[in-house]
Amino acid sequence: MAANPTIEPGLDLSWLNLYDEPATATPGKKGLTLKEINAGRYSDAARGGGDMTYRMRGAVARPGAHRFGPNYMSKSDVWSENCIMLYEEATQRQWASARDIPWDTLQPLPDEIERAMCQLCTMLTEVEFIAGDVPGQWLPFISAQDFEAGLFLMSQIMDEARHTDVFRKRALVNGGGLLAQGAGLGLRTLLEARDFTEMSVLMHVQAEGFVQSMFRMGELIGQTEADKRIFRMSAQDESRHLAFGVMHLKYVLDTDPDRAEEIHHYLDKAEGDASGGGSGDVTFPPVFESLCILLGGGVEKFDEGVQKFLLLRKRQINEYAHRLDVAGLNRRNRFGPLMAQFVDPV
Amino acid sequence: MSTSEALAAAQAARDAAANIEIPQEARDRARELAWEDGLIELALQQGHSLAEVWQALRGNIDGATAKQFLAGGGSIARPDFWWMKVPTEWGIKARASDPEMGLTIGDLNIGTYGDIPDVWYNRSEIARGSFPTPTVEDMGYTIYDKALIWADCCVPLYEVAIRDRWVSSTDLRWNSLEPLPDDIEKAVCQLMTEQSERAYYQGALLSGWLPEISYGYLELKLFLSTVIYDVARHAEAFRKRALSNGGGLGLQAPTDYNRVLQECRTFPELLATMFVQDSMLLTLFKNGDKIAQNQLERDMYALCARDRQRIMDYQIERMKHFLWKLPDRRDEQNLYFGKAEARMVKEWGDSVVWEPLAILLGGGKDRMDSGKAKLQGLRKQQVQDYVANLEKATFFRSNLNARFKDLIGG
Repeated sequence: MAANPTIEPGLDLSWLNLYDEPATATPGKKGLTLKEINAGRYSDAARGGGDMTYRMRGAVARPGAHRFGPNYMSKSDVWSENCIMLYEEATQRQWASARDIPWDTLQPLPDEIERAMCQLCTMLTEVEFIAGDVPGQWLPFISAQDFEAGLFLMSQIMDEARHTDVFRKRALVNGGGLLAQGAGLGLRTLLEARDFTEMSVLMHVQAEGFVQSMFRMGELIGQTEADKRIFRMSAQDESRHLAFGVMHLKYVLDTDPDRAEEIHHYLDKAEGDASGGGSGDVTFPPVFESLCILLGGGVEKFDEGVQKFLLLRKRQINEYAHRLDVAGLNRRNRFGPLMAQFVDPV
Repeated sequence: MSTSEALAAAQAARDAAANIEIPQEARDRARELAWEDGLIELALQQGHSLAEVWQALRGNIDGATAKQFLAGGGSIARPDFWWMKVPTEWGIKARASDPEMGLTIGDLNIGTYGDIPDVWYNRSEIARGSFPTPTVEDMGYTIYDKALIWADCCVPLYEVAIRDRWVSSTDLRWNSLEPLPDDIEKAVCQLMTEQSERAYYQGALLSGWLPEISYGYLELKLFLSTVIYDVARHAEAFRKRALSNGGGLGLQAPTDYNRVLQECRTFPELLATMFVQDSMLLTLFKNGDKIAQNQLERDMYALCARDRQRIMDYQIERMKHFLWKLPDRRDEQNLYFGKAEARMVKEWGDSVVWEPLAILLGGGKDRMDSGKAKLQGLRKQQVQDYVANLEKATFFRSNLNARFKDLIGG
């Protein structure tokens, strides 16, 4: 019997009747961004309940759709008011470590300086590797009702991949190599989070905040124009991740203020672990020592480097405290002694 | 400094030290290093900060050294910089092999840093090629076998993906859109609704697997990150198209196929199952000119096809490598392909999936016969390409889905 190759059954066309609110988004100054299409029944303000099916916000629910396992049903669990803008900024500001860093300008450095830079890069490539895994772990739990938060995290995964590669490149391009593993940096804490907000506070606000403060001192840490550019470009990306975290925390505290103590509890734990916790724990000896050599300008100027390191630490802690203030979480009186010693009076 | 000023400063240091709460963790560490009781307080009274004390403790300065140092009134104990002497390969000068591409991750794979082992044994997040810390926590990775996931092409494809990045908000000419006939616009919107959801789901799904892959296969994780970012862009580009020309979002995508992806128990199973849709979508977007109603859509499909070609290149090479390394698992793959094909056939028969395509291919709902005929042609090509892609991966499907066989006259 000749097989009938037709897969399609008879006509239905009832789906043509689903469109009751014509959407006519027009491009703005930055093109057609997610902001322009965030309108009417398609906007985040019109979000309905989650349904665990990956139905994108505003699409009509399909009868009989499978569930895909639990995800966050409440917007406040994952949302950040700036995620729409941050995603679009991420797409506009992608850069390429292969060509946007002036690798050909690198010159041989004194051995101790090159080793210090390579040690720092060994630690950073390790940190950034985890920083890609952590949002990845949470993406399946973000409802498609809040897809912009998901898109932002996908852009973060791309950013972290680039950071992982750029620090590896730096370690292997100037006569050096990778050095000691950065074990002890508290990275597992980030993977151990069992709630999106817990993860975001620990990674985006605390760990990436500390890293960001360090990158912003890249002019002092970097020994060459290429190094400085790596820190500048990476800092630009980190500031988006940090902004997401701060505004997510603010959104949680604005919509569900009862969670404040719970969030304090996560931070109590993370800060109580050594002098900072998370991937920004720069007190790990190879990291501390390499930073001091770079900041001081050599082993012989190590003491000078320590003083600059203490300034860096002070900057990290104060910026961290300020970000928490902005989010509406005052922790200045809860910092443990290793952090409290650095906090400026308000 | 006068004597009185020095005395005042010393008193101030003692007062400040008295107010500093010494963390129990620091005291415990000091005991481990045989610091005498009161040594931390002495350091603080001498004006050292708690941070400096902590650094000394983390730097394994033993009690005798600390006591001698404090007795001498020195500034800061000089560490031994042990990390400078670890036996990793040194003297590496990676250079761009292709100046057009710049310094790529492939250029870094020299010396021992280019050893991508068949099995990766380190359970921590150690960067491949760095010196391991002897005792570390298990980070929970589950994928340690190169044969399961690796394809050499992931190394160059990562850099190509970055080079070929595009931005939906500005690289597509949204101002060029003109109103379309109502049925055509709705068909576009329904297709966009479906594809946006498929792309977003694929990104979320792949993201969830990243923490399973160990650092030994760093380049693959980097490449997967570009895939995740690519499909994120597809999801938002399709949504933008649906909401920019008088239409909107339609009925959500069917969930049969995505659900079978969700049910995969291992990453190789997921990749095999995903192979079917990855191939079908590549052919669909490569044929974007046939369904596009304007230049914006032609551009959008072409950009998506370029992204999806990279995914397919990886899929083919990964499968080929897998089958070469693990020939005993060849027959098993038929089970995954069979399941995926069955779900694909079911979804192709869904009126909300095929009718919009038939309208777009035919040129309107009044020309459905023509559209259906053209859709048959497109489906045939999709299946032919799929079978050809499998063959490139050295896989010859023994029991291709019967409907697929009918389509290609097999």
